[in-house]
Amino acid sequence: MIANRGEIALRINRACQELGVRTVAVFSEADRESLHVRQADEAFCVGPGPAARSYLNIPNIISTALVTGCDAVHPGYGFLAENARFAEICADHGLTFIGPKPSVIAEMGDKATAKRVMKDAGVATTPGTGILGTAEEARKAAESVGYPVLLKATAGGGGKGMRAVERAGDLARAFASATAEAEASFKDGRLYMEKLIIDPRHIEVQVLGDEFGNIVHLGERDCSVQKPSHQKLIEEAPASNLSVKARDALHDMAVRACKHVRYSNAGTLEFLASGDKVYFMEMNTRIQVEHPVTEMVYGIDLVKEQIRVSAGEKLGYTQKDLVPRGHAIECRINAEDSRNNFAPEAGTLNHVMFPGGPGIRVDTHIFAGAKVPPYYDSMLAKIVAFGETREAAIARMERALRETVVEGVSTTIAQCLEILATPQFRSGKYDIGFLPALLAAQAALR
Amino acid sequence: MNAGTAPGSAGAALPEGESVALMSDEHSPTTIAARVRRLAEMFAATDLLRLHIERKGEAIELGRRATHPNLVPEIPADLGALVDAAPARLDAIRSDLVGIFHPSRPVPAEGDVLEGDRELGYIEALGIRNSVRSLGPGRIASIKRSDGDPVEYGAVLFEMDRG
Repeated sequence: MIANRGEIALRINRACQELGVRTVAVFSEADRESLHVRQADEAFCVGPGPAARSYLNIPNIISTALVTGCDAVHPGYGFLAENARFAEICADHGLTFIGPKPSVIAEMGDKATAKRVMKDAGVATTPGTGILGTAEEARKAAESVGYPVLLKATAGGGGKGMRAVERAGDLARAFASATAEAEASFKDGRLYMEKLIIDPRHIEVQVLGDEFGNIVHLGERDCSVQKPSHQKLIEEAPASNLSVKARDALHDMAVRACKHVRYSNAGTLEFLASGDKVYFMEMNTRIQVEHPVTEMVYGIDLVKEQIRVSAGEKLGYTQKDLVPRGHAIECRINAEDSRNNFAPEAGTLNHVMFPGGPGIRVDTHIFAGAKVPPYYDSMLAKIVAFGETREAAIARMERALRETVVEGVSTTIAQCLEILATPQFRSGKYDIGFLPALLAAQAALR
Repeated sequence: MNAGTAPGSAGAALPEGESVALMSDEHSPTTIAARVRRLAEMFAATDLLRLHIERKGEAIELGRRATHPNLVPEIPADLGALVDAAPARLDAIRSDLVGIFHPSRPVPAEGDVLEGDRELGYIEALGIRNSVRSLGPGRIASIKRSDGDPVEYGAVLFEMDRG
């Protein structure tokens, strides 16, 4: 069963079809006409539009898996993907959860615990705290850590429940709003705090493990092109302007950490890099949105690997067999107004046309006439360009974005093109402060 | 008129002219049967999963599920009979969860007149029996699911004539 929606539900369905695995989709009333519903072998409505009553409705999702005779549940990303209790409930009902063991999800999914575990494994972490009970506790912790600080949701991801706080006077309000956002997004409002490292790079390492203790890494991705909300917009693999020493250190830390927690299935360790220093930030115990750039340079289908590993198969290769080739860039096409703080938009798409040709991959769930509901993430498509060099990948991505047409809502296409055209992006020397600064400059020109 | 899953919901709309023709005020059974037949033909030619039309206290709902034979709502061969029995006011009783449908004892039958609220069936989900009630008096106009059918959220289980 595919316990998700949108492009990742289609991505999982495609992997299953190629493996000869029958699929059951779940959907909300708002997604009744969605492609993932049409393309799955069976489809069950599990609730109304709001995610809390459909894609987060564990009883209805588990019940769907049981009444349709499913063997396994792929959670995709977001929604229930890092919910250890959901993984446990799957196991209790004889369903294989396609992901790591519930205990590992709990350990890594709880970001504060994950940092402690990583420290034990000898992985460098940013200075910070454990779970903060109250705003007053946060205030005292911030004095110890030193401003600026970053409040983060321990169950978080995608920038939800995250607030940068520069002054003590702003802390109480940031604590309250981050708690509320985390509660709404993850049903878990607990926060922890980290020292805010000013404008680091966001570099993450893809890992894959089987049930027999074999762990490999599939290189790193640079995800430093982030909106002011810390949500990623453009990702690339491999990261450019990274020394051999820093790259090797990242890869070694990722594999060491996974062996320490006996990790299985696909996962991603996120690091902050500042100069030659790298700090573990968090681990995502699921497939990532940006996994296609890794697939393009390693030639590995990560979703199929997840399914095979969950079925008890051994990894069919060792680290030395994995040799990256070329460069891949992903642009997220979101239904957002980039000139209005990336405000999400809902509506009907009256014209849709995607690019093609050599080296282009498009993962999307939209089509002409599709409705973009107001309830979910605003991502409409991921366009991925491959090139033998970074320059070739950028040129191909620019061509692909110019071919893309999505009418009916505002999109991030033009913004992505503007980013690709900047000397800073083309040089590969950018950090997470790059896009906010570019947006500020664009706003000033207007 | 709504073409979609429920009154007020979003969905592909039939052409405006068709809605006027289909929902005429004329109530002759023969005329209505012809219109319902035409509506069913039009519905079959679309990719809609469910079509619900309400007007002036009358309602009709057509639906299909191509992926699971047990979930395909049956369109009676004799549409005239359906229209002859068409009640003045239909009230759909829907499943609010996913599970297996079972009728309660005594097994309700189409045409049964209920004088008050009673349990008509239950949805078995995760080993829990979830009651499905008539939500008041009325006549059971139609039973949409059989014993042991898997049902999804929003599936119509019964239609009650509250007239």
